Amino acid sequence: MSPSIFPDTAATATAPRRSRGRRVLPLAQSGLYALLIVLAVIYIFPFLVQVATSFKTDADAASNAASLVPQTFTVAAYERLFLNSDFPLWFTNSAIVTVTVCLGRVFFASLAGYALARLRFRGRGIIFAAIVAVMAVPTVVLLIPKFLVLNQLGLYDSYAGMIIPLLVDAAGVFIMKNFFESIPVSVEEQARVDGAGTFRVFWSVVLPMARPALVTIVILSFQGSWNELSHFVVATQSPELTTLTKGVASLASGQLSQGTQYPIKLAAAAIMTIPVAVLFFIFQRHIMNTSEGAVKG
Amino acid sequence: MRRTKQTAIAAGGVALAAALALTGCGQGFDDSSDSASNDGLTSSDDPLTVMYNPSGDAEKEALVAAIAAWSAESGVEVEPVATDVTNSTTALTQGFAAGNPPDLFYLGPDLLAGYAANGSLQAYGDELSNKDDFYPSLVENFTVDGQFYCAPKDQSTLALVINTDLWEAAGLTDADLPTTWDQLDAAATALTTDGRTGLTFGAEYQRVGTFMAQAGGGLVSEDGATAVADSAENAAALAYVKSHLEDGTFAYPKDLGAGWGGEAFGKQLAAMTIEGNWITGAMSADFPDLNYRVVELPSGPAGQGTMQFTNCWGMAADSPNQQAALELVEYLTSADQQLTFSAAFGPMPSVQSAADQWQADNPDLAAFIDGSEYATGMPTSAGTSEVIADFNTQLESLATGDPAQILASVQANLESVVGG
Amino acid sequence: MTHAEQAPRRSGSRRKSGARSGEGAAGWLFTLPVILIMGLFLLVPVLMALWVSFSDWTGRGSPLASGVGFVGLDNYAAITTGGGLDERNFGIALRNNAWYVLLVVPLQTALSLFLAVLVSRTVRRGRGFFRTALYFPSVTSTVAITVLWLFLFSTSGVVNEVLSWVGIKGPNWFNDPRGIVHVGLASLGVDSGPTALTGSDLLGVSWWDWLAGPSMAMTALIFMAVFTTSGTFMLLFIAALQNIGPELGEAGRMDGANAWQRFWRITLPQLRPTLFTVLTLGLIGAWQVFDQIYTGTQGAPGKTTITPAYLSYSAAFTDQQWGQGAAIAFILFVIIVAFTLFQRWLLRERGGPKRRVPWSSRLSRGAS
Repeated sequence: MSPSIFPDTAATATAPRRSRGRRVLPLAQSGLYALLIVLAVIYIFPFLVQVATSFKTDADAASNAASLVPQTFTVAAYERLFLNSDFPLWFTNSAIVTVTVCLGRVFFASLAGYALARLRFRGRGIIFAAIVAVMAVPTVVLLIPKFLVLNQLGLYDSYAGMIIPLLVDAAGVFIMKNFFESIPVSVEEQARVDGAGTFRVFWSVVLPMARPALVTIVILSFQGSWNELSHFVVATQSPELTTLTKGVASLASGQLSQGTQYPIKLAAAAIMTIPVAVLFFIFQRHIMNTSEGAVKG
Repeated sequence: MRRTKQTAIAAGGVALAAALALTGCGQGFDDSSDSASNDGLTSSDDPLTVMYNPSGDAEKEALVAAIAAWSAESGVEVEPVATDVTNSTTALTQGFAAGNPPDLFYLGPDLLAGYAANGSLQAYGDELSNKDDFYPSLVENFTVDGQFYCAPKDQSTLALVINTDLWEAAGLTDADLPTTWDQLDAAATALTTDGRTGLTFGAEYQRVGTFMAQAGGGLVSEDGATAVADSAENAAALAYVKSHLEDGTFAYPKDLGAGWGGEAFGKQLAAMTIEGNWITGAMSADFPDLNYRVVELPSGPAGQGTMQFTNCWGMAADSPNQQAALELVEYLTSADQQLTFSAAFGPMPSVQSAADQWQADNPDLAAFIDGSEYATGMPTSAGTSEVIADFNTQLESLATGDPAQILASVQANLESVVGG
Repeated sequence: MTHAEQAPRRSGSRRKSGARSGEGAAGWLFTLPVILIMGLFLLVPVLMALWVSFSDWTGRGSPLASGVGFVGLDNYAAITTGGGLDERNFGIALRNNAWYVLLVVPLQTALSLFLAVLVSRTVRRGRGFFRTALYFPSVTSTVAITVLWLFLFSTSGVVNEVLSWVGIKGPNWFNDPRGIVHVGLASLGVDSGPTALTGSDLLGVSWWDWLAGPSMAMTALIFMAVFTTSGTFMLLFIAALQNIGPELGEAGRMDGANAWQRFWRITLPQLRPTLFTVLTLGLIGAWQVFDQIYTGTQGAPGKTTITPAYLSYSAAFTDQQWGQGAAIAFILFVIIVAFTLFQRWLLRERGGPKRRVPWSSRLSRGAS
């Protein structure tokens, strides 16, 4: 579900070309418009149902599933989640992992991307080829293997085991490399003439210019690690290390004697959607624009 | 800036150290630990970890309280870790592979053989001071290759649970309480109305198996060494169930929109259900106003039959403090403690010395404890849990399936794990 | 993992001067974290799992310990030719996932293209709103969406309620193990297959059952996949559409082609590179169904939502069949790589060079 976002940021400012001179019949036009509205409603409706149901009672949720107005408005589901469950712990764990992973990926991806784009050293081609090859390994086939290695390293069931394997993302390196290749060398040359070392040039000259690409990495890694499930399933067993995804998944499969409890499950799902939704709305313009640049060329 | 540079180097260092650890001195796996043997238990000052998957808050609270009481008494620190059904097996498997499993944990007979085979379990049954107090049929459930592995923590059987209001509304009386399949049939038909089914039970061997037992069938022979799934008795039982799934007097809870029999029963989607004694806790919590009674399941062609369920307190072979764990198990399985648990969340004691008291405490639930006289347990050979899972899958479509064909495939699968 | 297309490379700007002193060291130092972490958590795991798939390791102690034996292809044989439950489970998982791929990939591609055309060609006002609304499902996690889906498709859930407004009695979605093809045939009075299909089998699953189609439960998950991925792919198509100028379309109009013909003959050929990207990403993603199953169905009802990825996990982590679990993962790996290579091959054959073919010649080819 990760969006394909590329930082071909130079292209982002270009306004979309209007299809001028197009004369669609007004009737057909409004018909299509209506169709689009219907589709948009279908896409949004589930989320409205989700929020509405989280404020319903169990019985109300079961009998009036499609109603967007709770018969009796109750915050019992949220109370139960926050006061009488491990939900706050799950949220904290997800936040810790996500923030660390974001910072790590931004740093490591830009470091490696810069080296691959600008520094000349033996083995560069091989490293880049390896990274591209790694991008092709599907993550689900790594479930068992990752557990084996984390276990062998003694990282199993620890924050380190949850975070370190996620710190590097081949796509991020790829994006940063492409970005650095697209900016002119002259600025760095000047800094080098002034006697700055390689890291210093990277850190204080090049990196600040890379903000659009870095935002892309932040979005991708935030979304990726916040929504990650399978890695945490195999990397941890302690309840203290349960993340939101793992916790809500166990909530969903539920315990038989406690009934269906849809309001509490949907409340949990709604809350876990909020951070990515906020990120999405903050960077909406960036997401829409960069993906427009993605297919150019 | 400098800090970042250091971070980079430090991070590289961490990764490098990790690489070295991998190539040289793996520490996650414990290669040296001995396989399960009962020649003495480990003992240390280490705290204990107890992993359990509670059926609900009542069980959680009762168990945590009991453990805290023992901990205070013995001075051994114990950490209870609650998990859920989905995660418990995964967590256990990962714990065994990682060499840091919980010291004690709930363990079903279906998983016992697999874990025993790879040496993950400590067989401590013979060390128990209250060993002879456990019901022999339960001990059987936890014995592999003649070794009594772990103490049954409690037991449950299945009985027929009837909604008394609906029963009376349908004009039925005590004289109509079913003691044969025909009578069950008649009662279910009388109770079936528009939007309500007479009888519901889960689409699984763990429920449908009662009919097989009543018909004189089962999955494996009494010694557990031969697969007997494709018998005429089993076929008769499935045909009986199938005919009533077809005519609508029986239904699976899922087809009624409920997660399990108790939920369908509580929501009055069905007037009767076949469930275990845990249903009492669920009813008082979720459907406190519902009036019901519990009677023994009817007899089939071969007499009475029901299913018996039990879990044991599994002990890890890798536990550093098995002696303390053993003492905790003895405490938790004592008659007094089991009666406390029973009052809190409904299971029946696994020790004989508690039976009389339990019956006195729960006169309405006598049918459950009476059932343990003739109950059948689940098969315990390694691999049978997968076979039963497959059987359950096929039972879901029993209404449209062919009983003989289903049983033939179960027979073939069973033969590959227990032998023909 | 999802980036098949490359942004423009401007490598021509690279410095021509020789390597500066220290640059080699810096280069390695800068890439070291990435190399180490990838090596440790991608390469080494794959090698270790490869060993486990050839071993009799039972899940206790280290798989590298001396007591663990090499069993050759036994684990692979058990799931492909063993004749037992393990083979059948693997066959069922492949059947389920193949139907999932077969339906999800074309549906998500067609829908996202349709949405993209609709949004970018017909809407002037509120385009941003529509893009946001249609893309939003893509940012949420599979876990959260699955929870929502279980509710929407429950017996008395929203979907069935909406269906009841138009007089349709909805199925018991997540509890209905019947395949939709079988359901369709049953409504025509065909309840059992011909013996030619029921009599022989592949991987322990009869041909009749291979053709059962996805179960109702899987169908609900197919809807979910289409719902959550169409937004992402729509953005890709919108971007591509904006790079196609209106000129070609106008020329086509002068030729008297109607809107539908213009779309098929002019727009679609130009979208080919994006189309291939979307198909490749879709194929790779659709073979990796795990989160939904782990969260929602755990393979139920009737094993009809078991996928190879989930089976690999459950074989190892719940049944202690580590060798078989690893073997399933590698077979899945091969399947995904094969599909990817196939896509790459198609892309190379038709994508690149033809982009410069004049539209008129393409138009005539399309018409012939």
